[in-house]
Amino acid sequence: MKPALYLALLFGLVPIQTTVLHYAGIGGIRPDLCLVAASLVGFFAGELEGLLLGLALGLVQDLFSAGELWLNLVTKGSVGFLAGVAGRYVAYATTITVLIAVMGLSLLSGTVFLLAVEPRGLAEGFFAVRSVLLPQSLWDAVLAAGIYWLLTKHFRRKQAILEESAGLGSLMR
Amino acid sequence: MFRSTSGTRRVTLVLLALLFSALLVLPTQSQGLLQRIGVPLAPIVTLPIEAFAALDHSLRDVWEGYIALHQVHEENQRLRREVELLRDQNSRLREAASASQRLTALLEFKGRAASQIIVAQVIGRDATNWYRAVMVNKGAGDGVRAEMGVITPAGVVGRVVKTTASASMVLLVTDPNNAITGLIQRTRDEGIVEGTTQGLARMKYLPLLSTVRAGDRVVTSGLTGGFPRGLPIGAITSIDKMEGDLFQSAEIVPDADLTRLEEVLIITAPRGESDAAALSTQPLQQRKP
Repeated sequence: MKPALYLALLFGLVPIQTTVLHYAGIGGIRPDLCLVAASLVGFFAGELEGLLLGLALGLVQDLFSAGELWLNLVTKGSVGFLAGVAGRYVAYATTITVLIAVMGLSLLSGTVFLLAVEPRGLAEGFFAVRSVLLPQSLWDAVLAAGIYWLLTKHFRRKQAILEESAGLGSLMR
Repeated sequence: MFRSTSGTRRVTLVLLALLFSALLVLPTQSQGLLQRIGVPLAPIVTLPIEAFAALDHSLRDVWEGYIALHQVHEENQRLRREVELLRDQNSRLREAASASQRLTALLEFKGRAASQIIVAQVIGRDATNWYRAVMVNKGAGDGVRAEMGVITPAGVVGRVVKTTASASMVLLVTDPNNAITGLIQRTRDEGIVEGTTQGLARMKYLPLLSTVRAGDRVVTSGLTGGFPRGLPIGAITSIDKMEGDLFQSAEIVPDADLTRLEEVLIITAPRGESDAAALSTQPLQQRKP
């Protein structure tokens, strides 16, 4: 199940990101699906899985981006790893925790991109922060928190059904 | 769910450290290695990209053909009800006619142009928000190489920066990382055309004594890059002349509508068919750079 999910993410996210995701863009800024996926996987499955999925997603993203071949690979890999480390130290994860963590990771990743594109002068740098870095990290954080909220709701419901059926089973016995 | 043990954590850290060291110490070799790793991956990803691109085109057609017109429909409800059926029937034909018109224009332009060109379809955008780039459905397998110029009949679009077997990334003329040599048609002054963060283009390094003014047309100079001389880039809208500066610069609005790109032309041989043919018949040792 897990390998199939990772393969689907690997070969499905970049095609969506490059084609139809612009419909979800606000002011031309789209969320970074690969960053969101790497951080959520890192957060829940640990740093190794986060790192490996991040690296793979980053490489595919790099192939279909005008930037240098290492940029997404390194940032997404690091995001997956750091999310795994963060997940280890968070005792009780909530939607707000995920929102703040992903926003921080997206800001960190965006700063690497900002340094790589080398804006000419402070004015251009501030423009890039205002028009790309901040809106994208907000988008990423909201999307990740939304997915987390849906997943926890789904798992809680599943757990409740399991507990209910276990309770009925013991009563019948 | 699965949680890493301290052993896997150590493995992760070692992997990360190795990757960073390799990228820092051997940047060129690492890029080559990553490119090689990406070779088998790219065609697999290109397939869903093309499928999603087709879906994107259909969605756009639906948006332009139906939803955008819905507001007008509300205003003219009674009249629209009468013509709705015909409009629905004609919508498909109109789209076909529009595509045919665009392709005819491209073919005519291809016939007129002295350079060797390949027609490509825009299938996607850059995978990040940091670059103004589009993806086209022609790649290394079709003879497309990095640094080749990309145009539409309206003007310059950008240049190819990366290729896979069946797709290429085209960095638009409005991206700050792009630089094309340009020439002002009226004054014959040359300069470098770069993109700006605001999504326009700027012509830099114009001589202080140049009489350039708003409205002047800028074309490619043909000195560097994959463009022949004389292709339209855009029109100057304002001039920046700062006191103490050695050069002046001018803001340009590109002629090509870069927000609505559908088909583009990739220039594979900017010096013209005859030159390119002559070059290809020359023995390798006689070729001059």
